[in-house]
Amino acid sequence: MSNLLACLLLAMAPDAAAIVKRADRAVLGETTTYTVRMTVQRPGKRDRVVEMRGFKKGDEQGLVRYTTPPKERGTAYLRSGENTWLYLPSAAKVVRVGAKQNFGGGDFSNGDIFRLSLIKDYDPTLLGEEAMSGEACFKLELRAKNRSVAYDRVLYWVRTDGSFFPVRAEYYTISGKRLKWLSLGEVGKLGGRLRPTVLAMENALEAGAKTELRFLAIEDEAKLDDRLFTPSALEKGE
Amino acid sequence: MPTLTSMAVRNLLRARRRSLLSGGTMALGTAALVLGNGLADGIARQLTANLVAVQTGHLQVVARPGDFEPQNSPFDAYSPLRLPGAQALARRLEALPGVVRTAALLYGRGTAMAGGRSSMASIIGIEPEREPELRAAHHLQAGTFLSATGRAGGEPEVFLASPLAQKLRVGVGDAVSFVVQTPEGAVNSLDGVVVGVFQKGAPWYDHALYLSLGPAQDLFAWPGDATSIKITIEGGGQAAARQARPSIQALVRQTPLPGLDPDQRVLVETFPEAGRFAFSIMEANRGALLVLSSFLLAAAAVGIVNSMLMSVHERTREIGTIRALGMRRSAVVRLFVLEGLVLGTAAAGLGILAGGAAVLHYAAYGIPMNNTSLTWMAGGDRLFTVLTGASLARTAATIVALSILAAVYPAWVASRLEPREALHHV
Repeated sequence: MSNLLACLLLAMAPDAAAIVKRADRAVLGETTTYTVRMTVQRPGKRDRVVEMRGFKKGDEQGLVRYTTPPKERGTAYLRSGENTWLYLPSAAKVVRVGAKQNFGGGDFSNGDIFRLSLIKDYDPTLLGEEAMSGEACFKLELRAKNRSVAYDRVLYWVRTDGSFFPVRAEYYTISGKRLKWLSLGEVGKLGGRLRPTVLAMENALEAGAKTELRFLAIEDEAKLDDRLFTPSALEKGE
Repeated sequence: MPTLTSMAVRNLLRARRRSLLSGGTMALGTAALVLGNGLADGIARQLTANLVAVQTGHLQVVARPGDFEPQNSPFDAYSPLRLPGAQALARRLEALPGVVRTAALLYGRGTAMAGGRSSMASIIGIEPEREPELRAAHHLQAGTFLSATGRAGGEPEVFLASPLAQKLRVGVGDAVSFVVQTPEGAVNSLDGVVVGVFQKGAPWYDHALYLSLGPAQDLFAWPGDATSIKITIEGGGQAAARQARPSIQALVRQTPLPGLDPDQRVLVETFPEAGRFAFSIMEANRGALLVLSSFLLAAAAVGIVNSMLMSVHERTREIGTIRALGMRRSAVVRLFVLEGLVLGTAAAGLGILAGGAAVLHYAAYGIPMNNTSLTWMAGGDRLFTVLTGASLARTAATIVALSILAAVYPAWVASRLEPREALHHV
């Protein structure tokens, strides 16, 4: 009887793709500006804290500029389509960087920061429901659509309470090793709606290492010019 | 002529102290040159042997970008680009006449991790049973080299550099994992077990590790492929490599390589072409030796000229006497040139004995290369000098020729002395 009930509940649940699509927009909207504080924690070392101003337009364009500390102010990352660029004010040069290189010396890769849509890169399957971090969640398995996607498989937990807030993501290599895991929490009201405000990434490469992104302000439905997302604008600091 | 020679020897023996001083200078210069050549030859031998054994073979087949520019890096010989069907192509190349052995090699970069520690690593997949020279070129510090299967109890075997083992704090029997970004873009990982730790000395191998080709292909998701094919040919050497290249090139061109990027080209490179970095070090060493030798020889030549001019001055009356007795100007020139020749030959002989002994000593025991710059230059943490007959003959000929040349001016001065004036010289 309980099995039958579970099957019925699962049948009533939204399909996997719909869950992932809703979760894709849970933290940042379609077109958004935001302020975020990144804290890089390394065992035995002082935390490194950087604040950034970010811009996102659709699933193809993203820009992040460092605002503090003063010595790093002006450093910026740009993602446009499949390309990522880094601007270093000290060198006054825009250089192309790989999506898999780490972002700002932390545990997120450039691709993690600018992963604008999971549904674009992965085929999701709903595995069932499972409690995660004290929340009832859909447990989904995401399989990369092709070998150019960084993580071959992602396990993804999304709240079942109708908010579709992602709670946790685990990223696996082709051979099945868990490489990184992301926790999303501290739901709070930013930009007029509730959303997870803290994302914490840990990885298997360094025990005790962790990078936290804490959103301080978010404005959805911002009006952003396409010219903002070009390497020349990056260099000009526009 | 025999009379002139005995006169020359006698004259040199009469001024023993001066002959000893100028001859000693020449002998020291000769010894320094022999030692310098031994060092340069030792560096060249070590760098070349290392390059051929570890990276390129005598020839290598490799995919390069259309606009490839060597960066003068020790890793220039390796290419990160995929050579499709490399293993199958390697076996076909092995059937060519003159080819002793071929081995496919897969080079890539990634992260090695163990116990919460991680480090960047150069990951090199090899066919262990086909790499006896590579095996011999790595000084085993602990454990063993990779087995023919490359697996220990199902786990991929890992043979890694001592500095990397220290950084990860692993030893023989410990687990180590790798994370790489595959060329297509996905992230992959592999768990292995350390079977051996090597000491290479050359700092560019501090973060290198070897896996068997199969696990490396799994890691980079390139089944059957590699990044280069090392070819060992009969006789070795640059000339043999150049001679063997056309037939290898022809077979490579005939072989379809499906999946090769159209912007890339497949090249057959001889080891000097592939290992430009090592050869640029050798050229720099030869250049430095040439400059040093020039100064050394110039100083020695000035010493001889000075010594012989003094001899002319001291023997003015004697020259006047032999000229008055009928000796021609040309005979006087020959006499002094013969003195230079005898002095140079004796000095060259002594210098070769002393320098050769030093070279043989360091050839047996090596010279420790105590800092990173020296290990870069020598391609290892010990430099073993080399004594070759050609080098000795070259040095001896240079010294003797220099001695003769240095004697020409004093001889000419002596020959210009008028007997009447010379006899009145006090």
